[in-house]
Amino acid sequence: MQIQVRLYATFRIGRFNEQTRDYPPGTRISKVLEDLEIDESLIGTAFIDFKYATLDRELHEGARLGIFPKVGGG
Amino acid sequence: MPTLSSNEIYSRQILFRGIGEEGQQKLQNSRVAIVGCGATGSVIASLLARAGVGFLRIIDRDYVEPSNLQRQILFDEDDAAKFIPKAVAAAKRLSACNSNVKVESQVADLTPHNVESLLADCTLIMDGTDNFETRYLINDFAIAKNIPWIYTAAIGSIGVTMNILPGETACMACMFPDSPNGAMETCETFGILNAAVAGIGASASSEALKFLTGAKALMRRTLLTEDVWWTDRAELPAEAQRADCRCCVRREFTHLSGENRPHIALCGSNSVQIHEKTRTIDLAELEQRLLPHGTVRCNGFALRFWRGPYQLTIFPDGRAIIKGTTDVGVARSLYARFLGA
Repeated sequence: MQIQVRLYATFRIGRFNEQTRDYPPGTRISKVLEDLEIDESLIGTAFIDFKYATLDRELHEGARLGIFPKVGGG
Repeated sequence: MPTLSSNEIYSRQILFRGIGEEGQQKLQNSRVAIVGCGATGSVIASLLARAGVGFLRIIDRDYVEPSNLQRQILFDEDDAAKFIPKAVAAAKRLSACNSNVKVESQVADLTPHNVESLLADCTLIMDGTDNFETRYLINDFAIAKNIPWIYTAAIGSIGVTMNILPGETACMACMFPDSPNGAMETCETFGILNAAVAGIGASASSEALKFLTGAKALMRRTLLTEDVWWTDRAELPAEAQRADCRCCVRREFTHLSGENRPHIALCGSNSVQIHEKTRTIDLAELEQRLLPHGTVRCNGFALRFWRGPYQLTIFPDGRAIIKGTTDVGVARSLYARFLGA
């Protein structure tokens, strides 16, 4: 299945803004993070189709996955 | 120094149709707390003071250092040389910019113990902090008391901001349900562009002006991120509450109750903060006691003590920042050795 991954803020650095990626059915968000070498402890929030999603949620064909880091400096 | 009339100062702002005479009067009648007056806090405080927000309370626990001056626009070299508290230096500069605004400085760490007295009498809370522990505390308090607040952060070339309107938008615990776990990038480790700070601080300030002038309906209901280096901007929806949100749905205010608050925290890239909540310290007495043991400077707001590779900054409320180590044990030992355990 194809999913559309959109990264935000510091997660874009050295990666991409948006990318379509292939995964087998049943893939969870945490697997995508692992492939992108994003440490789960840095995650602020994840969205599937612009709705909050926990990292153990399964993705579906055509899912739009958004991943936002915690940004803390000030 | 002559005080300029408000008509002169605000004439161009009043001409802007979104503000007008009525909006300007509402700003004059407003009370805003700014928690943290470093980079983003400086920008926000400067813009709100110049815009004529009638009362500003600046809350900050730190002191001006040379590495602040690149981006913390309210401070100068003299402030850094004298390690003036940021809240004090900011109030002085803001009052000089606009004497029509009452600026109150609070050299304090926002804690569950003082949050009520520092924030309850303000109609809006602005986030100028650099840490999530304080932001979660603000969030708990703001949701519990139904006070809007605006989250603002910056790192590298990126700024992030979000309006939290209790009952109308997501809260911080909806968006970021889990406290940071492990090391996070900070401005000290990752670097920071002053333009990123200025840009996102300006965005947050304009949202504040909308709220204070009664244009709440125009406020952004998204989490906004801007990158001033790679010319990038994105927004995520932030209207919906998370169904099981600890804070705004279940109303479990764990940060407000203090159960999540550590006494000891890593602070920056090479410092440990120890906060003894019940301890008060006579700095003049301590200065005399420490003089035989190393170099000591005291300005009435804080005492700084150098001992070998370590630097201790000690505050009257018992808080100490031990610079030169990330080892909590070493920090505790220094604290115990020089302040008593």
